[in-house]
Amino acid sequence: MSTKPRVSSAIPGEEPSFGTALAHQPGLAGAFGQLYGTFWSKGALDHRTKEVTRMRNARVTDCGY
Amino acid sequence: MTWLNAEESSAPFDAALALRPELRDLYAAFYGKLWDDDLLPAGLLELCRLRVAQLHDCEAELAVRHAEAGVSDEQVEALANWSESELFGVAERAALALAEKMPWQHHDLTDGEYADLQAHFGEAGVVALTIGIALFDANCRLRLAFGTEPAPVEAAMPASSEGPIY
Repeated sequence: MSTKPRVSSAIPGEEPSFGTALAHQPGLAGAFGQLYGTFWSKGALDHRTKEVTRMRNARVTDCGY
Repeated sequence: MTWLNAEESSAPFDAALALRPELRDLYAAFYGKLWDDDLLPAGLLELCRLRVAQLHDCEAELAVRHAEAGVSDEQVEALANWSESELFGVAERAALALAEKMPWQHHDLTDGEYADLQAHFGEAGVVALTIGIALFDANCRLRLAFGTEPAPVEAAMPASSEGPIY
């Protein structure tokens, strides 16, 4: 695993992050944001269930972010 | 057999997603944008999609072929051993190296491999490719979790935000 970001920030003045990497593709980033935002703000599942599964998925994939 | 109570459809994956219409439409918009906006050659995306499906042994994803992406039957035949085949170009091989590792070996991706991708596709291109492969991976996981039946489709055009998600 890399110890430094492989993708630079596409947003001037901001440190490299997941969001600034996606910003290299604004159309895809916008579509992802709408999908992910709707998943969290609406739907049949409560927030706790979503957060527990998100965190468990991060553990399984060993993703420290 | 799927356990979801979705309507019978020639696009069973789409029908399953449609049980949550808001999410289905936004997912289609996201997935379609990858193909609609000519971010990367359709053939390159198709090769990566099929290789990821092979790695997942996802028959439902493998049953879909996008004819106009321009991937030959010979290439599909050789895809499982792409690293030893001469049917793939240098840029395709760099992309397939990423597709090979993202589903199950994402921690093994090296800085050198990622730099190689950036040399071929540029930074914006490699971001699109990485998102694309993540979506192909997600499609397989969703299909396998839903128990989606394989529905062989020769979709003329690659995936689009306008049509069903095959």
